[in-house]
Amino acid sequence: MHSRPTILIVEDEPEIRRFLRLSLGAEGYRVVESSTGRRGAIDAGTHKPDVAIVDLGLPDIDGVQVVRQIRDWSPMPIIILSARSQERTKIEAFAAGADDYVTKPFGMGELLARISVALRHAVRSGTADNVLRLANATVDLDKRTASRDGQPIHLTPLEFRLLAALARHVDKVVMHRQLLAEVWGPTHEGDTHYLRIYMKQLRDKLEANPVRPKHLITETGVGYRLVAGDSPRE
Amino acid sequence: MDVRQALTAQSSVQRIFTAGGNSGLIGYAWAIGATLTSTLVGFAMRGRFDLVNIAMVYLLAVVLVALHHARGPAILTSVLCITAFDVLFVPPAGTFTVDDLQYVFTFAIMLTVGLVISHLVAGVRRQAREQAALEVAAETERIRSALLASISHDLRTPLAVMAGASSTLAEAADKLSSSERQALAQSIFEQSRDMAERVTKVLQMTRLETGEIRIDRDWTSIAEVASSALDRTSERLASHRVIVELPNDLPLVRVDAALVEQALANLLENAAKHTPAGTVVRLCARQRAHELVVSVVDHSGGPSEVDVERIFQKFAHGPIETTAGGVGLGLAICRAIVRLHGGDAWAECVPSGGMAFRFSLPIERAPPAAAEVPGADDALTPDHPDR
Repeated sequence: MHSRPTILIVEDEPEIRRFLRLSLGAEGYRVVESSTGRRGAIDAGTHKPDVAIVDLGLPDIDGVQVVRQIRDWSPMPIIILSARSQERTKIEAFAAGADDYVTKPFGMGELLARISVALRHAVRSGTADNVLRLANATVDLDKRTASRDGQPIHLTPLEFRLLAALARHVDKVVMHRQLLAEVWGPTHEGDTHYLRIYMKQLRDKLEANPVRPKHLITETGVGYRLVAGDSPRE
Repeated sequence: MDVRQALTAQSSVQRIFTAGGNSGLIGYAWAIGATLTSTLVGFAMRGRFDLVNIAMVYLLAVVLVALHHARGPAILTSVLCITAFDVLFVPPAGTFTVDDLQYVFTFAIMLTVGLVISHLVAGVRRQAREQAALEVAAETERIRSALLASISHDLRTPLAVMAGASSTLAEAADKLSSSERQALAQSIFEQSRDMAERVTKVLQMTRLETGEIRIDRDWTSIAEVASSALDRTSERLASHRVIVELPNDLPLVRVDAALVEQALANLLENAAKHTPAGTVVRLCARQRAHELVVSVVDHSGGPSEVDVERIFQKFAHGPIETTAGGVGLGLAICRAIVRLHGGDAWAECVPSGGMAFRFSLPIERAPPAAAEVPGADDALTPDHPDR
């Protein structure tokens, strides 16, 4: 336990490292910097940071490889920093085990918000609280009960499964394939339309405004993210 | 992408001449068909008309085939027509002998007409192809220079702001109040973000035009796409009243969700940029036959007819109009994206006063119904919420 959370920055551009060091330092974080991918993977082991921020375009090894190497031994939150915004790159990074993805250029406010979500998640993952508290609705995943505005509502078994799969990775992006495999089974990994239909049903039942969801968030082309609690991201 | 499609839509005259060039076997089928038809007509005329008139019918067949098909079918038609005319009509009927020299002359004329016409048409076709190639080259050049103009204009302005504001901060920060420093820093941030967006747009347009973007189709809910596009543009639309009208039973579409989100976000951005603050922007979608039509409708009071035409032109040609902060690019990108999906994008005036920017996406066959939960009986699943 550190009094100040430590953040590892794996980034080859000195100018970007500099402003990250300055602004993260000003926010009270302890900052460790690595300028190459290999160095970053080693520093992750020696410094055991609370959050790692990894650039994808590194001079020696790809950022995705750094993520894989860290994931081999640690569940620490990893935020990807990248100038590439294509969905394919995102999917690759998430598949390697990244928790979040910030596209360059970014505002510091955005990055700080992602860091605090990552830290919050890291703290929470220890506690096995299986009750989801959303803005208008509450879902008890163990007892399989749900209520909205105090009134009990009915969720189908499949809707519970889908919600539970998202809740297992709360605040994190869960990729389409992974959700389909966890909920419908590995033979249905390509059946994205199931997800579209059941996510709509869940939103209709749980979201105050299903068209502008606050909890069941779409990550276009990648997957879904469940944002729980009363303080949604951003 | 835009360019190529505009150019393939050549004038109908050109199309007639360019279409026939590679007709292959079809041309020869036409040669046989035309000869048979003329022969039937000839039989109907026999007795009542002079032989010369029957020859004219065959000549017509030669002319028509020569006009629409290549030289080979034209020669074949001439030969077939000459043979048919000679064997069936020229006395003595049933033989390929000619007892009157004037029919030899008829044959010669028929063959010459066929060759001359097919030669002329081949020339026109070649010219049309060369013309089209020249137009493609000119259009590519025009786009390239428009793109350069767009880049230099769109990037220089924010760069000037950033250079000015940041040098002020670096050299004279102590002479400024903290709120002034804050304002300068904020403007650097905003300009850089704006510039990043423009660079992204230019890159994306280039990728779309060179066919570098591969579309990754998957079943997509247009409601989800709309919600993400609204999230993305929420800051720009903050001073507008946004109304979302999505019917509950919209079918899923098989599209590249990220690209369609971009297309829709561009329409929303366009509305934010070109309508006064406080006005309504409606985002709606509906099914129309085998396509899904997504519209962003503004209520800006309605421009004149001339404006509609101009906006539409801008829409079609994209990068020429760059003064309004790269707006032409945003709409051109939208159109290129939906065309990649087999849809289209267009603009129109709405009766309530305002503009509607719409795009359509083809609706494929319905996806198979979602499977029931595997092992739905694995306990823990009471049918009633209150256990």
